[in-house]
Amino acid sequence: MPGKFSKVYKILGLIMLIGLIAFIYQLYKGLIVTHMRNSFSWGLYIATWAFFVGTAAGGLVVSSSIYLFKVEALKPVARLATITAFVFAIAAMTILLPDVGRPDRLYNIFIHPNFKSLLPWDFLVLSSYSLVSIIYAYILMKPEIYKFGVSIPLLGLKGKRNITDEEYKKLKEESFRKAKKLAPLALPLAILIHTVTAWVLATQAARPWWYGGLLAPTFIATAISTGPAIVILFSLWVLGVNERLLPAYRVLAKISALSSIILLFMYYNEFFVRFWWHHGEDYEALKLLFTKYLHLHVIEVFFILLSAYLFFRYSDVPKKLVQGGIALIIGVFAHRFLLLPSAYNIIPFRVPVIERYGSEEWSYPIAHGEVIGDLLKPGKVFVDYWNYYPSIIEILITAGVMAAVVFVILKLSEILPVEEKA
Amino acid sequence: MPRWGMAIDLGRCIGCRSCAVVCKIHNSLPPGTWWQRVETIGAKVHHTPVGRYPDFSEVYLPVPCQHCDNAPCVKVCPVGATWQREDGLVLIDFERCIGCRYCMTACPYGVRQFNWQNSDKNFKEAFKKLGFSQNWFADSSYRPGYPYEHRTKDGRLVFTPKRPRGVVEKCTFCVQYVDQGLPPACVRGCPGNARIFGDLNDPNSLISQVIKRRDVIRMREDLNTSPKVYYLLPEYKSYRGKIIYEKILKAFERMAVNL
Ligand code: SF4
Ligand code: SF4
Repeated sequence: MPGKFSKVYKILGLIMLIGLIAFIYQLYKGLIVTHMRNSFSWGLYIATWAFFVGTAAGGLVVSSSIYLFKVEALKPVARLATITAFVFAIAAMTILLPDVGRPDRLYNIFIHPNFKSLLPWDFLVLSSYSLVSIIYAYILMKPEIYKFGVSIPLLGLKGKRNITDEEYKKLKEESFRKAKKLAPLALPLAILIHTVTAWVLATQAARPWWYGGLLAPTFIATAISTGPAIVILFSLWVLGVNERLLPAYRVLAKISALSSIILLFMYYNEFFVRFWWHHGEDYEALKLLFTKYLHLHVIEVFFILLSAYLFFRYSDVPKKLVQGGIALIIGVFAHRFLLLPSAYNIIPFRVPVIERYGSEEWSYPIAHGEVIGDLLKPGKVFVDYWNYYPSIIEILITAGVMAAVVFVILKLSEILPVEEKA
Repeated sequence: MPRWGMAIDLGRCIGCRSCAVVCKIHNSLPPGTWWQRVETIGAKVHHTPVGRYPDFSEVYLPVPCQHCDNAPCVKVCPVGATWQREDGLVLIDFERCIGCRYCMTACPYGVRQFNWQNSDKNFKEAFKKLGFSQNWFADSSYRPGYPYEHRTKDGRLVFTPKRPRGVVEKCTFCVQYVDQGLPPACVRGCPGNARIFGDLNDPNSLISQVIKRRDVIRMREDLNTSPKVYYLLPEYKSYRGKIIYEKILKAFERMAVNL
């Protein structure tokens, strides 16, 4: 029987297939098919990784705040929230696959981990987070699974046991107790995945755009604004609207909007400090954002503000919530992408040139790594600026992973009892 | 145990890029990849003077991997593929690197290079682009440079003329030669003899003496990477051959136009 989403699945499946083909092509050709080069060595995949980590947060923040902060209104969306958390955390690790040059050697992370580096830690917290979210999801849904079973495609109905209403009620109480116990573990993990991900970048003194203590707090703010928005979007899509859900959406929208404002505050606070000094690498990085990347910056600020406005003003209107959620995704994605240019195009190796009439900093050019041009039109070998934009292959692979994320979330929410049943 | 370091005399460097070329050949670098760079400080184009008339300067700055003692690239490598050997060389294990390029982000000196594509293909395509006929590189078994693999004592592959795709590479101080008691190729190939290579642990080595007696700087000292490449500052040249700059400048000064 054709399900509610059968058409959506077809479209998503197609995007996934194209993404897979693009990935195979990239495996075959090498990362030369991306538009990253030596001086701009991380691109769309890493931006998407940061984005996914951010969206993964919401899930557990939502579900654990029910039990830790007693926000009972959020209960109806808790299950879906944990599922999104799980899927996005897995997706964050998946998007790193096309980024590494030798995915065949990834096992080295397990047999030779270097714990001074934050990447193994990031793997560790992301995988623990996905594990905890799936356990969490199971705990929440266990009563319904026992009572009604889940119908898995091809395998049929599974997990159903014959239990009396009495036992069912007991299971529900037990589920609540266990969820309450797990919440204090889940929340710190949710905070950790952003912090550690931010630290991967923020520890690099060579990249003044990231270096410093402010990146982790902005990552958390981004997460607390996108996480709930993602939950709203999926919940509206899967569960729709009813009296029990509306209050949940209202709370989520307010949390998201507030966090967006905090994010922008921290962002501009940093800008002001850099701007005031008006010189040096920190300022140069900022200047790049406001000159060459002004268009993207306008997009990020406009859409984040728009979503905050819609979420604050119309937290009861489903249509506006959808618009707000989509606006936020656009804005935050631009925000994530903008992590890169100001980090890589401010070349860290700079030499001061001091003259009688003043001084300037000169960036030492980097060999970008590809022979371009020909005898008549020779290309540059060493560059001090690399105009990065994602190549078509990068876009297709990223789109494929995104489609897979949506696909899996929809499928899981169809199979699993995401709605609480009496 | 020695601690290898290098000193480069900026007063002697003539900016000829011989070191870069010698390095490229000896280490079989794929097209587009450079372990050595030589640029004119402050100039957009190499070998052009910098400044305003009449205050021009033209100082060349050769940059290999700085073999930092506190190397960020070593710290960030998630799998320990980049590590510092006991003799101070920062090396990359070609067989362990997963190609995550975190080290390229971490290195402040921009010396790390990635193998974006298959090196054989790269050679063929590049030769074609550069105007050689297509079959010039048909004999794919031939590679310029040191013809053997080189492994450290504990068996880690740190040099191979056949570059694996998807890994990072950089200057090794020519580990394959250093392990045989020879100085790096760039040191031997410098026509101005601007480079000194030696043991920093030995107080009597030439390099230790030079560092002690002359004014030396290290690049981006502020980042505390503790490089083992030292630069000897160029001296002010008031004459070259029979031309005495001071006099000429004086003569110009009288009719100086303020620029
Ligand atoms: S110069 Fe760069 S690659 Fe070389 S040791 Fe220092 S940080 Fe590592
Ligand atoms: S690219 Fe290779 S050497 Fe560099 S950090 Fe990753 S695994 Fe280590």
